[in-house]
Amino acid sequence: MATAPESAATKTAADEPASYLDMPSERRTLAKAHVATLSATAAKVALALPIGADVDDFRRVLAAEAKP
Amino acid sequence: MTDLAALSARALAKAIRDKKVSSVEATRESIDRLRACHELTHCIITLEADEALAAAKAADAAIASGKDQGPLAGVPLAHKDMFDRKGKIPSWGAKIRADKPAREDATAIARYKSAGALQIAALHLTEFAYGPTGHNYVLGHARNPWDPTRITGGSSGGTAASVAYGAIPAGLGSDTGGSLRVPAACCGVTSIKPTWGRISRAGARPLAPQLDTVGFIARHVEDLALMLGILAGPDPRDPSASTLPVPDYVARLDDPVQGLRVGVDAKVVGEAHADVQAMVEQVLAILGKLGLKRAPCAFPDWQTLDHLVQLVQLPDAAAAHGAYLRTRPDDYGPQVRSRLEVGHYIPAVDHLTALRARGTYVQRTLDETFKGIDIAILPILADPLPTIAELDVGGGPKVQAAMGRVVKYTRPINYLGLPTLTLPVPRGKGLPNGIQLIGRPFAEAQLLAIGQAYQREVPPEIARPL
Repeated sequence: MATAPESAATKTAADEPASYLDMPSERRTLAKAHVATLSATAAKVALALPIGADVDDFRRVLAAEAKP
Repeated sequence: MTDLAALSARALAKAIRDKKVSSVEATRESIDRLRACHELTHCIITLEADEALAAAKAADAAIASGKDQGPLAGVPLAHKDMFDRKGKIPSWGAKIRADKPAREDATAIARYKSAGALQIAALHLTEFAYGPTGHNYVLGHARNPWDPTRITGGSSGGTAASVAYGAIPAGLGSDTGGSLRVPAACCGVTSIKPTWGRISRAGARPLAPQLDTVGFIARHVEDLALMLGILAGPDPRDPSASTLPVPDYVARLDDPVQGLRVGVDAKVVGEAHADVQAMVEQVLAILGKLGLKRAPCAFPDWQTLDHLVQLVQLPDAAAAHGAYLRTRPDDYGPQVRSRLEVGHYIPAVDHLTALRARGTYVQRTLDETFKGIDIAILPILADPLPTIAELDVGGGPKVQAAMGRVVKYTRPINYLGLPTLTLPVPRGKGLPNGIQLIGRPFAEAQLLAIGQAYQREVPPEIARPL
């Protein structure tokens, strides 16, 4: 038997990230709005990022470009 | 009689070594001034007067017997209360604290001790070092020694207030998004946020480990140089601590600065309040007098950098608080809790994208922004010094925007990991503020030489309420 898709109205706090925080819904809404802005930037950055980019590049560049 | 409060740590160490003043005398005076500062600014979390005086007595005895106790022998200091000290429980500026006393000193504390320095107090910080204003909804807000209705800046606000007041010559802080630079600017003193990894973070309470940087606040640039030389260097307890050689920063304070090029990103600076833009021009005029040349430069898109640093910081901080958020969520103050909550909503893919892009952005900044310049100048605060009331937003809906405005010019630099020197703007008869000079990776010696020359034109001040 097929189940009905979950709607926004039926989604409960337990389905949200970090449900253990018991965040009021208005704070969750604000958090999502803020993160949406940041994620839009991440999407743009990801499109231009070389495939070989690595999290260790940061330390490597700092050391390679050191001007003590 | 010498005004001990006006001396640098380096000069005070020499006076103690030369027996012109005893460590006990210096420590007593420092404790008295710290108490007075606390009345005005709420800068102390724990005063350790008896312990400090006993240590000062021991230092005097060692000096009298001719033992070399190190370059800071007998000098009273105090630090932000987020560093482990053997047998003690740091407050972290929070209600939540460790269950057990620390088993060993943080590396920064241990290196200070090896240099002979004393610690007279543990100082105020924003709860868990997470906030740039000095507001602390658990322990009470810090107040600015120049004007107690104004913010000290944070999170190292207690250190900045104590240094500005002349209670201590210098102290430790940390900087994840501006926590050394903002309080130094607000209180009219200097700070160095070294290159990420220059100083070990072992034993320092983590906020967002990918960004956390240990550094100092001082009135005299020469103290920043002395202390960086003492604390920098590799540490088996912190794999991120750089193994690059540590220069003799004090010896290089008099490196020539004439002809160095200072980059100005007119677009980014132009987003600050007009008064702040005028302060940048004022500092540029002084640097020009010292022989530095002004040149245009352009950082990568500033808003992109600001978003990328948040994509790193927010989940990094939330993860660092994973245990306490699950077990004691109601013991957080409203502002820190609301900021930690947001970190749970950042998709892991976006967090990793920001981390993967970091090296690319640093390289681009060095290749393009720094192509024709040696250092860059930026404001620290986007606005004139705010009041405590203006920024008393708690954990409410304005928190992201309000805090974002305060760290607009500082947190993107944490993403890039570059070293940054804070210099106070000439104050006239007004309120303090500051600018930051940004250098290439591990170019702290160059920044400090410029700062030393700058202080010949703009000598350090001790805060007196206006």
